[in-house]
Amino acid sequence: MTDVVATNQTILVVGGGISGMTAALEAAECGKDVILIEKNPSLGGRVSQLYKYFPKMCHPTCGLEINLRRIKANQKVRVLTMAEVASITGDTGNYSVNIKVSPRYVTENCTACGDCRDVVEAEFDDEHNYGLKKRKGAYLPFFMAYPQHYVVDPRLIGTADADKAKSACKSNAIDLDMQEESLTINVGAIIWATGWKPFDAQKIQAYGYDRIPNVITSVEFERMMDPTGPTGGKILRPSDGKEAKDIAFIQCAGSRDRNYLKHCSRICCTATLKQTTYVREQYADEGKSTIYYIDIRAIDRFEDLYHKIKADKTVFFLKSKVANITQDKATANPILHGVNTEGYKRYTNSHELVVLAIGMEPSIDFNQLGVNLTINEHGFIENDPSNGGMFGAGVATDALDVNRAVQSATASALRAIQVVNQVATAEG
Amino acid sequence: MSNPVTVEKYRNNFLREVEANVEEGDWVKRCMQCGVCSGSCPLGPHWEHPPQELFMMIRAGKRDEVLGSSSMWMCTSCYNCIARCPRELPITHIMHGLAHYAKRLGLSPKNQQTKKFAQKFWDNLSKKGRVNELKLGLSLYFMNGFMEGVKMSLKMQKVGLGMLKTKRMSPFEMLGGHGCKDSKGLQAILNKAREIEEAKISKFQG
Amino acid sequence: MADKKLGAYICKGCGIAERLDTDELAKIAKSDGKVTVAKQHDFLCNSEGVKMIQADIDAGEVTHVLIAACSRRAKTDAFRFEKVAIARANLREGVIWIRPDTEDAKETTQEMAEDYIRMGCAEVKFMTLPNASGEQGRVDHVLIVGGGFTGLTAALEVAKAGYLATIVEKTSALGGTAAQLYKRTPNHSPFAAPQDNGIADLIQQIESNDKITVHLNATVTKTEGAPGRFNAEISPDGGTKTFGSIIQASGFTPYDATQLPEFAYGKTPDVVDQLGLEALAKQANGGTIKRPSDGKEVKNVVFIQCAGQRSEKEGHLSYCSGHCCMTSVKQAMYFKDANPNIDAMVIYTELRMPGAGGEDFYRNGQNKGITFTKGMVSEVVSDSGKVSVKFKDLILNEEVDLESDLVVLATGMIPNSGVDIEVPVTEEEEKEEEKTVINIVPADSVLNLDYRQGPDLPQLVNGFTDSHFICFPYETRRTGIYAAGPVRRPMDMAQATEDATGAALKAIQALENASLGQAAHPRSGDLSFPIFRKEGCTQCKRCTVECPFGAINEDEAGYPQFNEARCRRCGTCMGACPVRVISFENYSVETVGQAIKAVDMPDEFDEKPRILVLACENDAYPALDMAGMTRREYSAFVRIIPVRCLGSVNTIWISDALNSGYDGIILMGCQKGDDYQCHFVKGSEMAHYRMSKIGDTLQQLQLETERVQTYEIAITDMHRVPKIINDMAETIEKIGMNPFKF
Repeated sequence: MTDVVATNQTILVVGGGISGMTAALEAAECGKDVILIEKNPSLGGRVSQLYKYFPKMCHPTCGLEINLRRIKANQKVRVLTMAEVASITGDTGNYSVNIKVSPRYVTENCTACGDCRDVVEAEFDDEHNYGLKKRKGAYLPFFMAYPQHYVVDPRLIGTADADKAKSACKSNAIDLDMQEESLTINVGAIIWATGWKPFDAQKIQAYGYDRIPNVITSVEFERMMDPTGPTGGKILRPSDGKEAKDIAFIQCAGSRDRNYLKHCSRICCTATLKQTTYVREQYADEGKSTIYYIDIRAIDRFEDLYHKIKADKTVFFLKSKVANITQDKATANPILHGVNTEGYKRYTNSHELVVLAIGMEPSIDFNQLGVNLTINEHGFIENDPSNGGMFGAGVATDALDVNRAVQSATASALRAIQVVNQVATAEG
Repeated sequence: MSNPVTVEKYRNNFLREVEANVEEGDWVKRCMQCGVCSGSCPLGPHWEHPPQELFMMIRAGKRDEVLGSSSMWMCTSCYNCIARCPRELPITHIMHGLAHYAKRLGLSPKNQQTKKFAQKFWDNLSKKGRVNELKLGLSLYFMNGFMEGVKMSLKMQKVGLGMLKTKRMSPFEMLGGHGCKDSKGLQAILNKAREIEEAKISKFQG
Repeated sequence: MADKKLGAYICKGCGIAERLDTDELAKIAKSDGKVTVAKQHDFLCNSEGVKMIQADIDAGEVTHVLIAACSRRAKTDAFRFEKVAIARANLREGVIWIRPDTEDAKETTQEMAEDYIRMGCAEVKFMTLPNASGEQGRVDHVLIVGGGFTGLTAALEVAKAGYLATIVEKTSALGGTAAQLYKRTPNHSPFAAPQDNGIADLIQQIESNDKITVHLNATVTKTEGAPGRFNAEISPDGGTKTFGSIIQASGFTPYDATQLPEFAYGKTPDVVDQLGLEALAKQANGGTIKRPSDGKEVKNVVFIQCAGQRSEKEGHLSYCSGHCCMTSVKQAMYFKDANPNIDAMVIYTELRMPGAGGEDFYRNGQNKGITFTKGMVSEVVSDSGKVSVKFKDLILNEEVDLESDLVVLATGMIPNSGVDIEVPVTEEEEKEEEKTVINIVPADSVLNLDYRQGPDLPQLVNGFTDSHFICFPYETRRTGIYAAGPVRRPMDMAQATEDATGAALKAIQALENASLGQAAHPRSGDLSFPIFRKEGCTQCKRCTVECPFGAINEDEAGYPQFNEARCRRCGTCMGACPVRVISFENYSVETVGQAIKAVDMPDEFDEKPRILVLACENDAYPALDMAGMTRREYSAFVRIIPVRCLGSVNTIWISDALNSGYDGIILMGCQKGDDYQCHFVKGSEMAHYRMSKIGDTLQQLQLETERVQTYEIAITDMHRVPKIINDMAETIEKIGMNPFKF
């Protein structure tokens, strides 16, 4: 059984991505008790699936390493993975939270040696790689996964594979009888750092994501660049596995559009500027990037990156929301149709690969969750006194870049501390 | 310039005129110039100014160029633009509204074919409250001159005979044809509407 | 510690026992490592294994523990033992996973493991358990420099958490730039209209809060000390007070629009900047705004975005100030709300209104009839009372000359960062420094820090005091001093709220950490601190100059003063010290130096070279670990030692290693330069600089320069690190063995 000690001076952080980890650590490093829950088997969230960060082109796992080390070193943070909030009752300074913990089928004895993975045959879509490749039924979600424990896919339970995995484990860490647990904890304040998910690209019918193999999303493009990812770090076309050198980037794919997401997702412009550097990294002057945009929103310091990319002769900018995409049967090249609005020039442009700069939407429908939070029209949490001791952090509050998400998370940690400090004062 | 209205460039006079007089004209200001409408139009290549550009021209006060343009007459109401517009602009309706408004002001291009047909359709319909298809068809054939009309009629001979045979068309319609029940009432309605519209429009005619 | 009792615990799990002779390892721990206890266990990390170790600790059998199992990054929860020094020998990721399981490889693989046992024993033997020094104190009081919106917000948030706050504001009133605004951009749904700037309410809350003290017309004229004991002199009459930490919310100065003669600013009062417009709007107070030249009601207004910014022209700002698009829409609403018949047009090149609120506000602006034109303004001409804007409409592709009653220039913000203290560290930098341009805003110091490295926070690009870390935006280079608001980065009020609150947290955290004597990010919680053997010091000042965090001052005699609460424990001072008098209890010239020397050096004619890798524990070491996890093979001749930061590498380790027979040395650090990824900012750069001078040492020893290589490694380089190691092995094969083996 999972045992968790919590009091009304404990802070609950929901979501173990960069915002949740930051909120949890900043609060814990102020001396507060924190419980950090994450619904996936490991911490890291969306950023762990990115190749690089803009504008520095550094690797997200670099910051993750530090944050994980902080978590490992700090006994004030208790991490629960595969855990989700089922319900919440109570009020500021005194919430009762029911948490559902799904079975991992692997205990803390796991040494992450990989023996179970080796013997299991069944394969499933790899979530970490957005299904671009398969993973085994017993798996470590990614190389820096923390807790560094394997997971047995629930679909394996009851199959011969599961028994194979169990008998392969020399450290006796596989428990196939593990059950879902329900635990109720008492906390003083709650931080919602539930993050985002990429907008479902196939809803943008005119762009043919579900029909044209060489139309992919920006998050998938990030996975392609990972040297251990689905394409071994190469930009390969899904249709024929050939290298794509002429790449179109379509901005506002799902964002700033009343048909999909009305809000601007903020990060996509700068993320695309960053991704053109991936093209340069692979092909130097042989590559070509074309950006179809409405406004390039490389705000504040990110302007420096925009300036740098504009000077790159292999990068082209076209002010146009692409109307639709068709496919050239012979080459499998996507063909983009539209109008360059600067001076009205129609185009029919063939590219080897199209990357949709996909919008970000809140990963949780808070209205469905039945929690008393102020949610705006776009599904984001708005910090409001009526939220009591609950605070939004990171992309749960707005479409934010990593820097702003961390800023928001750090702020939310203080807001939660204010609540539990008041509880402490009241209780003397 | 024959147009008596003075419109200063990049002032909002013309935008306001459009908002007041053009069907759904109130939406023009909400365009963010993404161009998805222009790219989505199946007849796009035939437009001198696609919708998004027309919207910019309206905001720039280009009254003569907009109202004198043949572009909006090209709209075939496929609704691609409306379906894709990220700002919910009823672009198809605005195009028709602009065409209609230009025509009322007598600013639309002289020999615009869609316009001519629209006029014929209206003349035909407004007489009796019902469309006389035979007359409308013939007037369409002869719209661009007698010789053109004969040529067109001969070309369409087979179709016409087929329709006669299957009773999809009656030759007796030539003798006046059927109308709606209260023809006088219809005319009264139309006259009243005309009166209201003309009063509204007069303030923008200088 | 009175007497050290060493224990080595060797794990046999995860295939270690199948691949290695663990009995032999235990024997070596005893014979070479001088441990008193050497035990093996089938699964050291499971509860029984841990219990076994704990029992020995509890029984007083061991005080220094070597865990010979997996990487120090794995199983940290299991191998957490209180009150003993712990070292790890990486037999899994570092040995069996990177070596092929073949008969041929067996011997060299075993030797590798044996050396790691020897090295681990040597390391742990020279470690002592870190203890906070007792220098620290506890002061629950945050100094906030700047009484603008950010400063007020920070003060209130600090007070709400139960701590004291003191605001020092140099002007005669609180509120700063925000108080000059007629209204602010909305910060909540439906993002439809300008809203009250909130300053009056904020000031009222500040004034009625007994935890907050305000000094007006005051500046900080001297700040000395460290987190937990900053002494700040507040002039003219605030006296000297003690604070736990500091928030610098010194705000921004509006760009001087008179530098834009092409936009006629200064030539006519009818061209204003955004703050000028706010003043006009305040005057009108909801009525129609009147133009300054003749007092007539404005009938049309043009907003020019990016005036003097996002531009490479001399005297312009290269960056985007972020808020100005939103601000112009807000200001255009002032006109539209007063009278919808006023024409308000915004000329922009990229309309930057991001996020949910931004796009909503843009749409609502359009609904109110504000028009937007993508265009480039070339000139604003003022001629006999008339102002006209010349621009190119980029959509309609034509030049336009538009007369306008009033023109508003959206100019940028310049951070009030104080004095640019960045000192050139290397000769190249010194030359570079001479070329750089002069500051746009002549600066007085904001903090007047009595720090060896200068009176203010170091600046980053464009003069902002940002941390430059994407994941750690608050990590400025002066521990316990946090920049917030537009001094840190261009930002609007909504972001400044978050920023001020975040900075308030960091300030509280800093004083809490200081009270316990523990380090701040990234070595959070570390109790070790630099210990200094004064009698050996030559007062060379390398440590005081090179500390990336300006932690070290000099006393009157020129000796370093370490100010441990300012220290981030990277060890750059230790790496810098030519006489090696600086060390940490658990990380020192000895712990690493002894580990280097502990390897069993084969004879020159054995054809078994030895390669030393000093790998930064933040990025390079994880990359090596992941090379192991992905079973990438590399040379068995390598011996890897993790270091806190490459900056902590003392060149004595290099010369000792060469002298004791290592054939090659590889230093693996993080990326340096402008886009540095070094977690200690300058550590990697310092190391690279020092190593560029190692050539002399090599020449003295008559060794080839190829024997010492320094690399910038990213954490994702799991494919690259084995190659670097193997390349070095090949190089040695080519150039031959190091003759200095004994």
